[in-house]
Amino acid sequence: MKKMYVMLVALLLAAMLIPACGPTAPDCSKVETFCVGVVTDVGKIDDKSFNQSAWEGVKLAEKDLGAIVQYIETTDAKDYDKNIATFADENYDVVVTVGFALGEATVAAAGKYPNTKFIGVDQFQGAVTPGLAGLNFPEDQAGFLVGALAAQMTTTDKIGGVFATDAVPPVWRFGEGYRAGAQYVNPDIEIFVVYHSDVGFDKTFTDPEWGAATSKSMIEKGADIIFGGGGKTGNGAVIGAVEAGALAIGVDTDQYFTLPEAQKGLLSSAMKLITPGVFDLIKLAKDGAFPDGNYFGKAGFAPYHDLDATVPAEVKAKMDEISAMLLDGSLLTNVAPVKP
Amino acid sequence: MQSAEEKQAPQGWKRIGRAIMDAALVPVLAIFSAIIVGGVVIAVVGGNPFAAYLGLIQGAYGSTKAWSETFVWATPYIFAGLAVALAFKGGLFNIGAEGQLAFGAVATAWVGYALPGMLGVELPAILHIPLAIGAGMLAGFLWAAIPGALRAYAGGSEVINTIMMNYIALNITSFLLNGPMKDNNPLNVIARTPEIAEGARIPVIFDGLRVHWGFPLALIVAFLVWYLLWKTTFGFEIRTVGANPDAAKYAGINYKRVIVLTMALSGLLAGLAGAVEVTGLNYRHELGFSIGYGYDAIAIALLGRTHPLGVVLASILFAGMRNGATRMQFLTQIPVDIISVIQALILLFVAADAIVRYIYRIKAKEDRLVLTRGWGG
Repeated sequence: MKKMYVMLVALLLAAMLIPACGPTAPDCSKVETFCVGVVTDVGKIDDKSFNQSAWEGVKLAEKDLGAIVQYIETTDAKDYDKNIATFADENYDVVVTVGFALGEATVAAAGKYPNTKFIGVDQFQGAVTPGLAGLNFPEDQAGFLVGALAAQMTTTDKIGGVFATDAVPPVWRFGEGYRAGAQYVNPDIEIFVVYHSDVGFDKTFTDPEWGAATSKSMIEKGADIIFGGGGKTGNGAVIGAVEAGALAIGVDTDQYFTLPEAQKGLLSSAMKLITPGVFDLIKLAKDGAFPDGNYFGKAGFAPYHDLDATVPAEVKAKMDEISAMLLDGSLLTNVAPVKP
Repeated sequence: MQSAEEKQAPQGWKRIGRAIMDAALVPVLAIFSAIIVGGVVIAVVGGNPFAAYLGLIQGAYGSTKAWSETFVWATPYIFAGLAVALAFKGGLFNIGAEGQLAFGAVATAWVGYALPGMLGVELPAILHIPLAIGAGMLAGFLWAAIPGALRAYAGGSEVINTIMMNYIALNITSFLLNGPMKDNNPLNVIARTPEIAEGARIPVIFDGLRVHWGFPLALIVAFLVWYLLWKTTFGFEIRTVGANPDAAKYAGINYKRVIVLTMALSGLLAGLAGAVEVTGLNYRHELGFSIGYGYDAIAIALLGRTHPLGVVLASILFAGMRNGATRMQFLTQIPVDIISVIQALILLFVAADAIVRYIYRIKAKEDRLVLTRGWGG
């Protein structure tokens, strides 16, 4: 037994000495080093969605701008402040925070660390904070594009959309943009749009069974293309539609890569182009032209992938035309920013 | 630490020190073993275990700020760990700390933001903080009394009932935060309450650090739980019912009352965990906060051998791991999930202490840790 205690004491002593010779972080205080950090919301860096898209934008900055890049995954909401401070305290030049939930922590950090630029992905800024840019997207344009695509590709003149709650403005803009885009192409088209607003916020984005069931009931009513939007609920709708033999459209990122089970029936995805948006803002920060307040990235739609051969050339041409008109402002979606 | 020694008239500090060493031996070796196995896991996934652990220790205990954040994490762990440990002492397995904590947080948040408006006066902190925390304690107390009463009077297993009641509590919480209690700031899309009034906030201890007076409070409460269990008649009754309910019954202890009260007090402590998180740190309740503390608390109570001092130490360890994970990832980019793996390994080695005793050739002591007497009524 005595030997045991000696060993324990030795271990404790060893443990106390260890911090003295730990690993060291890159020195970001020097002018020539350009450091960019990412703080995720309560989710993983490889979530195949926002966190990953933002990280890919940062990786692009590593490649093209020679930035030193690093990420921290948040496990509990109370750590947002601390995780952001971990980068800012090390004199990082840019900190990217991903998701609406980090909005307040990011505003607070921007006030506290004037030498660091902050990029808040999907964080709409009610007021301008120096050193902070909220990266937002015209979701209504992304929805409009895939709505126009669906209206041209349907053979039954009936299409569907399955969404999480319309109380979250981006989801609302996707859904209503979809409706507007479809009607722009074909004013007589029949559109089924359902929001999962009958349950709470914790459930509305995480109900794939409901998404799949709703999607299938629309297909029974004759719809042959379903747009699913809103976390796992939307994913359920996309997978459910493909299982039922219909075509599906994903959301936010190119879901061809995030939902392999839906690949054979995935026509496209309504995309927030987060990766170029994050990269552009990092570049602006490096060039000393960082915009405070809200910065709008671009919306787009994903490639047709497996279904490329089934999309007629005139549809592709029409989509490019609509896309160009939305970008230069000659075509407006007329979707209200929030549900009235 | 409490075990046989204490009852046989302690012979000075040496004896107490010896008792602590004996009690701590298995947990410490369990931690040691888990760190070794965790290191192998890190190496297998392609990381450098030494760099990872160095980063972890730096982030957890390497600076004033690190200690502050570790204490911030430890505060709810201590309260919730004490909750589970107290129930264990009474022979009850409270898996419901998660739900009791959530209700405590909701009740505290409500008193924190709504009460001044209802009364039409600004409450002074000396009144508002105790009221807010008291509401959280009461919510936990009442919510946990239900499975306690079901156990005592209907023979329903508190294990099953507390698990079930977690779902009820968490879904009601979700409903409240999305509906009647939702922060109706137009820019807000998250399920959370409004911010509590300035007067309901527990102040920080040092300017610029987040550690607040809730941490010293947790230490005081740990002492009070120890005092209750070993220095009062009621504490003796709790431990007697926990050790042998039949004996307690024949000794004239109203064991049904003791079961209900033990469970309720356990819930009170869990509610306190939620209450202090709201008043000391977050200043509101949000669905993303405090996820899984009630379950971590079970591991902490077991690692702390259900003794208040052990719970405090285990909490500081678990808190350090959670907190240090950030720096570990910052320096090495090793996924923070590894921390959950190590914590699970610690729990495994503590629960299956025969493995530890076998590996390190320790002779079994007579007093095995009695957690609960089974799954039935």
